[in-house]
Amino acid sequence: MVTADKKESKFVSVVVYLHNDSRHIAPFFDTVLGMFRDNFEKYEIICVNDASTDDSVKILKDYFEKGEETGKNGLSAMSQETVESVEAAGKGNKNGRETLWNGSMINIIHMSYFQGLEASMNAGRDMAIGDFVYEFDDINPDYPPELIRDVYDRMLSGYDIVAASCKGKIKLTSRLFYLFYNLTSSSRNKIGQETFRILSRRAINRVMSMGQYIPYRKAVYVNCGLKTDTVYYESRSSVGRHKSKTDGNERMSLAIDSFIYFTNVLERLSLVVSGAFLLFTLGVAVYIAGSFFSANKPVEGWLSTMGFLSLGFFGVFSLLTFILKYLSVMLSLIFKHQRYLIEGVEKISKQ
Amino acid sequence: MESVYDKIIIGAGLYGMYAALHCAKKGERVLVLEYDDAPFKRATYINQARVHMGYHYPRSLSTAMKSAGYFKRFVEEFGFCIHSSFRQIYATSAKFSWTDKKQFQDFCKAAEIKCEEMPVSGYFKAGMCDGAFLTEEYTYDAMLLRDYYVKELFGRSNVEVRYGARIGKICRKGSSYEVHLSDGSRFSSGYILNATYASTNQILQLVEGADFKPFDIKYELCEIILCRPGERLENIGITVMDGPFFSIMPFGKTGYHSLTSVTFTPHVTSYERLPSFSCQRGEECNMGQLANCNDCKDKPETAWEYMARLAGKYMREDLEFAYAGSLFSMKPILKSSEVDDSRPTRIRIDSVEPHFVSVLSGKINTVYDLEEFL
Repeated sequence: MVTADKKESKFVSVVVYLHNDSRHIAPFFDTVLGMFRDNFEKYEIICVNDASTDDSVKILKDYFEKGEETGKNGLSAMSQETVESVEAAGKGNKNGRETLWNGSMINIIHMSYFQGLEASMNAGRDMAIGDFVYEFDDINPDYPPELIRDVYDRMLSGYDIVAASCKGKIKLTSRLFYLFYNLTSSSRNKIGQETFRILSRRAINRVMSMGQYIPYRKAVYVNCGLKTDTVYYESRSSVGRHKSKTDGNERMSLAIDSFIYFTNVLERLSLVVSGAFLLFTLGVAVYIAGSFFSANKPVEGWLSTMGFLSLGFFGVFSLLTFILKYLSVMLSLIFKHQRYLIEGVEKISKQ
Repeated sequence: MESVYDKIIIGAGLYGMYAALHCAKKGERVLVLEYDDAPFKRATYINQARVHMGYHYPRSLSTAMKSAGYFKRFVEEFGFCIHSSFRQIYATSAKFSWTDKKQFQDFCKAAEIKCEEMPVSGYFKAGMCDGAFLTEEYTYDAMLLRDYYVKELFGRSNVEVRYGARIGKICRKGSSYEVHLSDGSRFSSGYILNATYASTNQILQLVEGADFKPFDIKYELCEIILCRPGERLENIGITVMDGPFFSIMPFGKTGYHSLTSVTFTPHVTSYERLPSFSCQRGEECNMGQLANCNDCKDKPETAWEYMARLAGKYMREDLEFAYAGSLFSMKPILKSSEVDDSRPTRIRIDSVEPHFVSVLSGKINTVYDLEEFL
């Protein structure tokens, strides 16, 4: 049973990522819509359609356009065990004006072509107008609806960003990534698998004023310097979560990019390499010095050649370290450009 | 008994009233038929009240230049209803805009309209807009304009205005049209001007046996929010371009500001040829005849929270405004104009001898386009 004694007067925006996932649309909105309707006086829903090639958009539109008429959506999954609440829902629905308006604050952002989760969600968040913004990275509703409220309450207790994370099974590659990332990242907050999260307007403003493009939201969010927290839940589904939103290659390249953007792994690596070569060249220098004074002379010209080579390589590797540093500075400059392309914004409204 | 007129004008909005006065001055006998009980009760009154200079159309230079040309004439002729002593700021949004700062500047230069760069931080929160410009654009007061027309027209013996007119059908009889009202009265004229804006297609299908092609339009039920500006906003108008943004600017000389937004102002949309909405439940309002949305008891709930929040996301905290009320009206939008966002004035001659002319325009100052057709 949903506890909806008093609705929050805060305005929330719900940003939902959608990419070829039509089968989850109805279950997802059935799970979450009732929660938003019952807990918040005003909310908006922004669906980011990342160039879906299946019938996702059609199903989405049908869900809201036709669902409103039958008064089914959002209320069907919600507490059908109590007769009163179903009746109450029916009553509320006879008030045509309310449903009419509720149907007209659902916007779809159509991405121009497939741009992946991160860019699409950046577009969605930029469009949101709420005090608080929920980011749903996928629409597999394997959590109880109350989790939406839990995350919100946790935020009110003093956090700017609160994520919901699924306990248990997580892919080995993902685990390795998070482990290695958290080891090398300079941030005090750790990142992990997240199902959805809520951000305060303050956190969004902070992220914006950091003035950079956001290639990997999780990393930027934990780096924004505000308090963050995670709420864990047990997955309702036995299959576990499948993140098929972004294909393997893209995830791989995002992982590598994230290491470059947010950790100093590469800088350190090049430093280690240069250091190793420095030691090596020093060793060679010692050997050359030794040879110079020893009676056992190598081939004519060997000493000067080796001395030049080891010195030269030392120079090359130190220079590479500098160049890498420059490149990282230049990268952050390029971030300032708008990096997503949208095709248009469409509003679902009933006739 | 049937009365004969030189011209019958359907719709007492600005286009209808302008045509009526224009023809009356020529000495013609004119009849104006209006559904509502007074003139200017719909789109002429219920819109942003912007006298367009062209800034709105950075992707359609032709629309922009035409607006700029008419701007001067309108401001001179109707100076009594123009409010011009405020600073009109146009800004380009940093995100989601189809047009950026440089493109907007280049466009203004090409259209030869004023565009003075301003510090963005003077009006907007950090990072929200990439450019802000002081422009020259005014607002008109529809009620003052209405009073002018009422005064001008009603002293004339050759002009007759019928309010509460319910048109049953229009038939062609030889070289004239006969307009039948549902109360049994009949009027005849060799020239009919259909200046009903959102009802244009509805009037067209009342013409018996003519089979006039309807305009390819969609319908949006729109809400204009009136708000009380705080002290700092009083003499400022702000428009954020070019995409899903908003505008808050003085509403004529009323002392209010109008607040509108691209996504929240339209509440419901109909893509049919004739407006069909689920809120049409009375006998009064249906696909064949639109009643006045602003007077309707079934009008939607206000979107104030949404629009205010959108504006608040962009504007500095010290530019305050408070809700005062909402106005609703139906707006037809030509489907062809979506890509370049142009808003052409469409004037179509459906038949000659007898004449049947339809006009569809979303802008007040292109009313002069009508002249050559009258």
